[in-house]
Amino acid sequence: MNKRVRAFSMALIVSLFAVTTLFSGAASAKEELKGRITINGSTALLPMTLQAAKEFQKLNPKVKIAASGKGSVTGPQAVKKGIAQIGACDWDASIDVPGFKAFEGQVANKVAVIPFATIVNKNVGVSNLTTEQLKGIYSGKITNWKDVGGSDSDIVVITRAFGSGTRVNYQLKALGGGDITKKKENYKEVGSSGDMKTAVATTPNAIGYIDLVYVNSDVKAVKFNGVEPTTDNVINGKYKVWSYGYYMTKGQPTGATKAFIEYVQSTKFQQGSLKKLKFIPLSAMK
Amino acid sequence: MSTEVQTIASMEGASLLKTSNRRRFNRYARVQFTNKLFKYIFLFSILMLCLVLALVIFFIGKTGILTFKDITLADFFLSMDWTPEEGHFGALAFILNTLSLTGITLLIAVPISVGMAFLLVEIAPEWFKQFVRPVLDLLVGIPSIVYGYLGLTVLIPLLREWSGENLGDGLFAAALVLALMILPTIARVSDEAIAAVPKKYREAAYALGSTRLQVMMRVVLPAAGRGIVAAIILGMTRAIGETMAVVMVIGNTAQFATDLFMPTSVLTSNIVMQISNVEFESTWNYALHMMAFLLLIISFILILIIRLMSRKRRQEA
Repeated sequence: MNKRVRAFSMALIVSLFAVTTLFSGAASAKEELKGRITINGSTALLPMTLQAAKEFQKLNPKVKIAASGKGSVTGPQAVKKGIAQIGACDWDASIDVPGFKAFEGQVANKVAVIPFATIVNKNVGVSNLTTEQLKGIYSGKITNWKDVGGSDSDIVVITRAFGSGTRVNYQLKALGGGDITKKKENYKEVGSSGDMKTAVATTPNAIGYIDLVYVNSDVKAVKFNGVEPTTDNVINGKYKVWSYGYYMTKGQPTGATKAFIEYVQSTKFQQGSLKKLKFIPLSAMK
Repeated sequence: MSTEVQTIASMEGASLLKTSNRRRFNRYARVQFTNKLFKYIFLFSILMLCLVLALVIFFIGKTGILTFKDITLADFFLSMDWTPEEGHFGALAFILNTLSLTGITLLIAVPISVGMAFLLVEIAPEWFKQFVRPVLDLLVGIPSIVYGYLGLTVLIPLLREWSGENLGDGLFAAALVLALMILPTIARVSDEAIAAVPKKYREAAYALGSTRLQVMMRVVLPAAGRGIVAAIILGMTRAIGETMAVVMVIGNTAQFATDLFMPTSVLTSNIVMQISNVEFESTWNYALHMMAFLLLIISFILILIIRLMSRKRRQEA
């Protein structure tokens, strides 16, 4: 019996050895562009990142790209810790923003333009809100739809949790830096863009905010200071609630990482897949 | 390779034929070997589990303790003000909410599920048992996110209509979803415990002139008590640690719930909502780890209390 066990383990070791040599042999083969890129961070940018990764890997089969989305701040954090080469973030993490300090030594590479929209439940009659009205609603001073031209019913505020990239941008651009105050009732926090849409769609008299990409017939997007939230209005400069999406890197990107970011910024990708995913090309904003 | 194995096999076969003595010895050694092997494999598994638990406690505790570098114990445990962006990390509201949510859940779930178990064992006809038991088993296996989603899309609109609230999110909605989630678990495990009570106990009680209710309440319930307590523990720990179902229906607002329909937050839902949005080296992150550690401690304490209670009862009996 013992002999048999020994023979078996010998075979195991031999085969393991063979497999390892095989793999290391494959890895040492020469290629022009190879490497591994890990991308972490914003869920808002994830659809674009995944599409770009798919196309880029087709052109450069030796580059392995792993992309995942969790929350904007995890992007620059993962880069800082060396877990990821690229951190996708909805704000420029190399400078201070409300609630988050700058990440030292990181470079922000603009990759796309992300528009945001104010959305309400379909039962809400209001179709336009001004900065002042939004400020009043989110700070808790305005609590009834009749005060902003709607019917007599309570406003149910739905907001993203503090630290969300969408919230940072919305506070900066739509509320003019104003606060979002929590309340004892008619107030709810949600954890993701998907939850935001479900919550606003299913709660009568609800108001919330979301990436324009997510807006569909389940909810109603309202005008901001009289301007419809559309990509055209972002491009012609009338609609102000948008931000750049960034790829954060530790210092200037190099090698495969650099090539990937350049691919995302290329006219081919910006005018093709990126536009199809309802993001706005960088070149449109100049 | 295969030839070598064959040679060994044939050699062994030859030796088997040669002496029966040798054969007995071989077999003895073989049995000894496998016995030892399995003993060590499973001992190793148990130790690994203990090690994992120790590591979880150590690492979560280690990060959690860092909270108190920046804020005092009293700030964390005795304050209800959780405003991380302004440096306030009071976790009391979450702790109380967690306890009251678990309490309300058990209040709803335990009587119903234990009653269901009694019905299944003592009263229901055979065909009904055969139908309900697999159904309950299926319910135990449903992922919590499904319960949460049903809560969000079916229960919340109903509650909204019924209570006249605008939102409907809060402790009550969460407790209902959790109760529904742990009902099958408690019912099935207590069902087994009650079915395991020997038939002679019941027969003796009937012979003394007891009614069916008396048999159930005074004979079967005490006899199956420990099993039922174990069932409740299982359900309770699931309720305390449940995150995904709760986060969808509780409203996620960091404040102490003074009424059943107020958007609020418990330890688990607050951790999962915020952990992805915090910086690694910040008091905020440490405080969230401390909350996770607390969650561990709370469930340990509750399990201990229930174990002690059931042990005491057994000694009295």
